[in-house]
Amino acid sequence: MEFLMALFPGIGTFFAQDPMIAVARLFLIAVGFLLAYMGFTQKLEPLIMVPMGIGMLCVNAGVLFLSDGSIGTMLLDPLVSDPDELMNILQINCFQPIYNFMFSNGLIACLVFMGIGARSEISFLLARPWTSITIALFAEAGTFVALAVGILGFSLEPGQAAAIATIGGADGPMVLFTSLLLAPELFVPISIIAYLYLSLTYGGYPYLIRLLVPKKYRGIDVEVYPPEVPQKSKFIFSVVVCGVLCLILPMAAPLILSFFIGVAVKEAEILPFQKLLEDGITYFSTFFLGLTLGILCEASVILNPVVVKILVLGVIALAVSGIGGLLGGWLFYWISKKNFNPVIGIAGVSCVPTTAKLAQHAATEENPFAIILPVAMGANICGVITSAIAAGVFVTTITMIA
Amino acid sequence: MTPIVYALFAYALTILISFLVIGIVVGINSVVSRKDAGRTRKEEK
Repeated sequence: MEFLMALFPGIGTFFAQDPMIAVARLFLIAVGFLLAYMGFTQKLEPLIMVPMGIGMLCVNAGVLFLSDGSIGTMLLDPLVSDPDELMNILQINCFQPIYNFMFSNGLIACLVFMGIGARSEISFLLARPWTSITIALFAEAGTFVALAVGILGFSLEPGQAAAIATIGGADGPMVLFTSLLLAPELFVPISIIAYLYLSLTYGGYPYLIRLLVPKKYRGIDVEVYPPEVPQKSKFIFSVVVCGVLCLILPMAAPLILSFFIGVAVKEAEILPFQKLLEDGITYFSTFFLGLTLGILCEASVILNPVVVKILVLGVIALAVSGIGGLLGGWLFYWISKKNFNPVIGIAGVSCVPTTAKLAQHAATEENPFAIILPVAMGANICGVITSAIAAGVFVTTITMIA
Repeated sequence: MTPIVYALFAYALTILISFLVIGIVVGINSVVSRKDAGRTRKEEK
C-alpha cells in the first residue's frame, strides 16, 4: 500500500490527508473541470475561466509528498514568507515567481487595469457625463452596504469587510488591489470568489433587470449623439484627472496611474504602446491572473470558515449594486420625463463591457431598434472610475472606523 | 466612527471626488472645444 502511495502520490495523498481536505480536493477537481468547460462553452467568461478552471483542477490533482515529509505541490506555495525559504522555493515551484513578483504586490492588477484603460473609450462618458456618473454612483451602493453588513452582521475586521465589499464595484483588479492592502490574509479566497461572481453576473443580472424593469419600459430607445470629442481633450483630462486623483488618494496611485496611462497612450495614438497594452499586456496578465487564481484554489482555501462569509457578502454587494444602478436608471427615467431607459442603470456596475452589453441585450429583446449602448457605455466607464475612487477611499480612510 | 457612519462618510467622499473628476473632464472638454472652435472661425475669416 505504501509503495502504491509513493508510486502514485497524487492518489496516495488522498489517504494520507485529513478526509475533509481529501473530499475538498475531489470537489475542487470537479469544479475546476466544470469552470473550464463553462468557459469553453462561453457560458462564463472564457478568458478567466479556462485558465482558472484548469489551474484549479491541476493544483488539487498534482499533490505529492515533498522532501521534508509534508504534502504540497510543485506549482505554488502562497504561504512562504521566510526570505531564505522563499529564495529556495522560487527555484522549485514553477509558478512561484508569478505569484511573488506579480500577484502578492498587486502588479498583475495594475497590468490588467492598464489594458482596461487602453480599451476604454472616454467619449461615451461625454455623451451624458452627469447622468453616467450619477448612475455609476447609485451602482456603487452595494460596496458601502456590504461594508456595514460585513462589520456589523458578520463581525469582520474593517479591513476585511472593506476588501470583500469592493466586490460590489464589480471590478476585478480593484478587488485584488484592495484585498492585498487591507486583508492580505484573505486575499486568495476574496479574489477567487470575486472573479467567480464577476463571471456569473452575466447569468444573474438579466433576472434582476426583469424583476425591476417591466417589459414595456425595457425597450425604450434613447436618442443620444455622442459628441465629437477632440483627442487633445481626452489626453489632457486623462493626465489631469490622474494627477488630481493621485493627489487626493495616494494609496490608490498604482491603480489610478495604470488606468489613466492606458487611456493616455490610446488618446496620444502611440500605436506600438497601444498595441502592447491592448493585446500583449492585457492577454498576458489576464491569462496568468486566471491561471494563478486557479492554482491558489487549494482545498485548504475553501475549508476556511470565512469563505462562507465572503460568499454571502459578495452576493449582497453585487445584488445591492445592481439594484442601486437600476434605481438610478429609474430616477433618470422620471427626471427626463420618460425619455430614458431604466435598464441603462445596470451598466453602472462596472463589469466593462459585460453590463453595458447586458443592458443593450435586454433592450433589444423588447425593441430591436432600441440602441442604448452608447449611454450604457458611458455609465460603464464611470463605474470604473467610481470603483477606483471607492477603493482609494477605503484604503486611505479605513482606520477611521472605531 | 461607527461602521454605518463610516460607510455613509466614505460614500459621500466617493460621490464628491467622482463629481470633481467629471467636473474636470467636462471643464477641460469645454475649454479645448471652445479654443478649437475659435481657431476654426479665425481660419474661415
